[in-house]
Amino acid sequence: MIYPFWDAPTGYGVLMALIAVVHVFISHFAIGGGLYLVVTEHVARRHNDAPMLVFLQKLAKFFVLATLVAGVLTGVGIWFIIGLLNPLATEVLIHNYVWGWATEWTFFVGEIAAALIYYYGWNKMSAKAHLTVGWIYFILAWLSLVVINGILTFMLTPGKWLATGNFWDGFFNPTYWPSLVMRTGVCVMLAGLYALVVAARQPAGDFKARIVRYSATWGLFGMMVTTLAQGWYLRAILAALTTKILPGPVLALRSAAWLAIVIGGLLLLAWLLARRLPVAVAVLLMAVGLTWFGAFESFRESVRKPYVITGYLYGNGVEVAKTDQSKKDGYLAQITYRTGDDGADLFRHACRSCHTIDGYRPLKPAFDGTDQKFIAGIVRGTQLLNANMPPFLGTPAEADKVAAYIYKRIDQRPLDQIYPAADLGRHAYATRCGKCHVLGMPSDKSKSFAGQSADDLNTMLDNLPELAEGMPAYTGNATERAALVAYLQSLGKAVKK
Amino acid sequence: MNLPIYEFLSAPIQLVTVLHLLTLSLHFLAMNLLLGGVIIVLTAGLRKRWDDPTLVKFTRVFPVAMAATVTLGVAPLLFLQLVYHRQVYAAAIVSGWFWLLVPAAAMVAYYAIYRASGRGEKTGKLSVPSLLVALAGLLYISLVYSSVFTMAERPKLIHDLYANDQSGWVWNPATGDYLLRWLHMIIGAITVGGYWIGALGKDSPAAYQTGKRFFVTGFALAAITGGAYLMTVPALLHTRAIWVLSAGVLLTLGALHLFFKKSFCAAGVLLLGSMLAMVYARHMVRLLRLADTYRPDSMRFAPQWGPFLMFLICFVVVLAVVAYMVRLLTAKRA
Repeated sequence: MIYPFWDAPTGYGVLMALIAVVHVFISHFAIGGGLYLVVTEHVARRHNDAPMLVFLQKLAKFFVLATLVAGVLTGVGIWFIIGLLNPLATEVLIHNYVWGWATEWTFFVGEIAAALIYYYGWNKMSAKAHLTVGWIYFILAWLSLVVINGILTFMLTPGKWLATGNFWDGFFNPTYWPSLVMRTGVCVMLAGLYALVVAARQPAGDFKARIVRYSATWGLFGMMVTTLAQGWYLRAILAALTTKILPGPVLALRSAAWLAIVIGGLLLLAWLLARRLPVAVAVLLMAVGLTWFGAFESFRESVRKPYVITGYLYGNGVEVAKTDQSKKDGYLAQITYRTGDDGADLFRHACRSCHTIDGYRPLKPAFDGTDQKFIAGIVRGTQLLNANMPPFLGTPAEADKVAAYIYKRIDQRPLDQIYPAADLGRHAYATRCGKCHVLGMPSDKSKSFAGQSADDLNTMLDNLPELAEGMPAYTGNATERAALVAYLQSLGKAVKK
Repeated sequence: MNLPIYEFLSAPIQLVTVLHLLTLSLHFLAMNLLLGGVIIVLTAGLRKRWDDPTLVKFTRVFPVAMAATVTLGVAPLLFLQLVYHRQVYAAAIVSGWFWLLVPAAAMVAYYAIYRASGRGEKTGKLSVPSLLVALAGLLYISLVYSSVFTMAERPKLIHDLYANDQSGWVWNPATGDYLLRWLHMIIGAITVGGYWIGALGKDSPAAYQTGKRFFVTGFALAAITGGAYLMTVPALLHTRAIWVLSAGVLLTLGALHLFFKKSFCAAGVLLLGSMLAMVYARHMVRLLRLADTYRPDSMRFAPQWGPFLMFLICFVVVLAVVAYMVRLLTAKRA
């Protein structure tokens, strides 16, 4: 709240994911590809394999263009975007890990120099010198990962750092080692995937078959290491996690698992079609690999909700350490850059990091047909919703201001005028109850409606705030209420059956 | 709740400042070779010297210069954000979209430079359209940096601009703060670019003469724009920065003298010294403008000597490794 808020008409998660996923997809290749190049060059030189050396030179060009330009600059792009989206989290990372970043930068300098010398020195250097530079490149690139991995995993599982504030406690946190092994596996897998794209462009024949099978083996081996390490990584996350696991991360993980199977299948297909592997299959493999990475990163990002640095900083930039101060003085007293519109300022700092009104993760459809009092009730109890949201730590008056801001921007007609009568009960449930009591999930209360009369359910609706802490009062009109009661009864009957 | 405090400096402010100024100077040196070099090569190209092989030779240096510019630009940005995070992030957020387009512009410029370099190698001709695209990208980046970093020196301006517009489409309207400074930097880049062209093309009389002309003319124009910019920051005249700046001018004159004598290495060292002086003066302008609202030395100091030592050792080792690799590259093949 000490920074202004970049109120762009876009979903920040999408923007961040676009840059970050592309970057990690290239930067992991930058490491694995370096290993692939130097190991393969070693073997090729030992066997005087001229066609392989020609292929490697082509791959090196592709490698330099992809990693030095897109890889490096999307990395810079991540720095730029995180500074815009969550400047405080970036500040925390910079202040705690400046020497980690600086160390990584030294590897980065050496890595870039090595990549350029490796590429430009292909026909100029002796074989021994060229291979030495290749190994230097790979070692420095992997050391970059060694450092970055410490800071990335710190954000998810800061471990003892929360108590000690010690650099090394945060760096060698509970998920450091499994993540390092897993990412190293990913690097090897991607080396195979990228090499297949260049290999697929070779004319059909024996040589093509040889490099396709060789590259597919890298992919499969990397995939195997990744899969094994992922199990270790997940166990470490589950052991360190303090929040409940929601359907989102589980879905992301499940998608990643399916996509890994597809990658494995496509790699086997590449093996079988080695002599005439179409470029389309290799490109498809890359696309699936990118999607797999997207799913995995989505899991990593979403599993740490509601935090951006677990136990330390919420996703919306609110500091855990300032919980008491926020409850006492409110948010507005902490917002340095004010615009004169308190509702808008509060909305931006409390909600806008994850939600828009009618775009990405929209609030309008969630609140259409409700009223200011109901919205304020939901705002006050955000941490109770089935979404691992950060708590609203501002004052009740500030919650009302946020609610007023949202209410002005939604469809203010009552629900019975928005939805047809036949569907009103279901929509009323989704709007009023479903934000916490998701059907089919542990929070589903359908069983408790079994055998209840309309009067019983009406009494329950009259006394919602007394039923559980944070439950907002029911504020719908009579038509909506009747439809909701009927729907609750139908849920109870369905459970009975 | 006793959670660790995040706002602290893990090394003395003087050390961080030295690292910032040093890495920024190195970044500028590489950037000047790139930006100044592209401008000079284009100017020579537009004077109908498309097929000059020396010009094409320079385009092959540009990808390396771009890589060096980007790589050496990371560290100063890191150290800047360590000390001036509040100001820099706030200014960047106000100009969010322009700021975010910087990496995109750099990527376009980078690919254009590779294309120009590749085409030059294949055809022996200068790829003017590619170089123009690269120049546009580089100028955009320099202008955004000037706009954002000078805005970061005006906290009140950031408050006012943000209160009126939160979209991230706000350009720094205080052009008096930065247009002259930006112009001085562009001309400075041409000056240093002249040095590079002359030094790298020392075997070609035409290239040396071109480099010399740009070095001399650039120096004169940079002195005029620098002097004019100085008038907009009169307080600087009362600090030691003015002496450092004067020393910087003398160092550039010395570099020119050595350049005339074709002692390119010694001239380069003096130019780096001059660059350090300019960067120091720039740093002093920031301190002067922020004096009423922020003092960097007021930040809590909580040393992390272990991690710092790790950085220092890695820095030295990597420098040695880079030198070793360059030696391998330049060594004659057995």
